[in-house]
Amino acid sequence: METKKLAQGAAPRKLSDYLTRARDKAPAHAGHGAGGAQSVRNDHYRGHEIEIVTTYKILVDGKKVRAPLGVDASGQVHCHSLPNYQTASAVDMVRALIDGFPEEFERKPAPSKSRPPASHKRRPAPARKSKPAAKKGSKHEH
Amino acid sequence: MAVVRSNISTNAGVRDQYIEGVKLLKKEASGRTTDEFGIPGAARSVSTYDLFVIWHVTAMMIETPPGNPAQRNAAHRGPIFAPWHRVMLMVFEQNLQRVLNDANFGLPYWDWAEDGDLPPQEQSSAAIWGANCMGGEGNPVASGPFAFHANDPSAFRVRISTNISGELRSVNRGLRRAFGVSTDALPRTAHVTNALALSPYDSPDWDADANTFRNRIEGWMNDDGVSATSMHNLVHVWIGGEMLLGSSPNDPVFFLNHCNIDRLWESWMSRNGRVYVPDMTAGADLKGHRIDDPIGSPLGRSATPRETLDVSAIYEYDALI
Ligand SMILES: [Cu+2]
Repeated sequence: METKKLAQGAAPRKLSDYLTRARDKAPAHAGHGAGGAQSVRNDHYRGHEIEIVTTYKILVDGKKVRAPLGVDASGQVHCHSLPNYQTASAVDMVRALIDGFPEEFERKPAPSKSRPPASHKRRPAPARKSKPAAKKGSKHEH
Repeated sequence: MAVVRSNISTNAGVRDQYIEGVKLLKKEASGRTTDEFGIPGAARSVSTYDLFVIWHVTAMMIETPPGNPAQRNAAHRGPIFAPWHRVMLMVFEQNLQRVLNDANFGLPYWDWAEDGDLPPQEQSSAAIWGANCMGGEGNPVASGPFAFHANDPSAFRVRISTNISGELRSVNRGLRRAFGVSTDALPRTAHVTNALALSPYDSPDWDADANTFRNRIEGWMNDDGVSATSMHNLVHVWIGGEMLLGSSPNDPVFFLNHCNIDRLWESWMSRNGRVYVPDMTAGADLKGHRIDDPIGSPLGRSATPRETLDVSAIYEYDALI
């Protein structure tokens, strides 16, 4: 790599010009973004053709989660919006989605005139700042 | 002359310059606004720093090729991982040199394996998370140079993030970190040593199941050849918050992690030579990952993986492994 080429290309204007071009050309979030959560795995075995189509339907608090989950050839769950993580279980991936996108899971307190406003009993737990005390089965004790 | 990249934990001068440089790039207007990048909502000025956030998310959106089952994109999950991030870091380093007015500034790295060798419960109090370095965890981060202060418009803020679908969106909030939530501990020195012992840079099927140096350092497989979140990926996941998302360059520690990954790649090349695979005989399904394919960057079509193998005119590391 030549120093001159790098110095010229690194100007913020060059970077922003490149980015606007790249975003124009990028297929409009094809395959993900639209909430697509389907993967197709193909294999051949003893002359048979195997096709496995996996579709996730995920509900959190009864609400559909439109996250682009997929499963790769070795069965690992992956999610485009959590690009550095893979899990053996979609449940762990959804937990990570809740950690990664807290505002998308915020529960609005049910509007109610009859309930006294001071009651905290039925409210969801406040957003935690510290680590969860227990995550069943997926953390080692130390 | 080549600049020297050094360890942030042992070079206080470079550490302070890095913090200063990040703040300057965050304050510098790029001249562009969010609407020009298709970000919904009112048009807002985009800082030079945030161009790197957009760049990373954009690269992730470009599937190579579209719809490939390995989910390879223009920067991840395939051979291009090391060269693409090397280019991103060099462009970032150039901008830091410019705003710091110091042509000798070299990007620092975070040797996370040093902290990974500590007992897990001590890792979140390592020096890197000190108030004089990257600050600690929180939603928002409340200590260190990138702490959030609601009433201070000049305090560090996240302005561009992604939604649950992975698309860019405007936000206005503090930086988030939550150490050790989805994983217990950082990668250790043994993981680094074992990765460096692998001689193929990459190999078929060029994906997250390949038992190769690239796949190990990217972090899709553990030392036993089993799918797992490890090394580079594990660092992202252990830090949590911003680092979980495609917009992870929002956390300035992103660049320190990748600088260390780049140092591992350089260490691997010092053993195996300046070699890269796949070459151009590979099929079109590897387009974007082959040695003479253009890297998605502002450096133009001539910036290819081959061009990134020898960067000795630009930078070197104070210590390889
Ligand atoms: Cu990346």
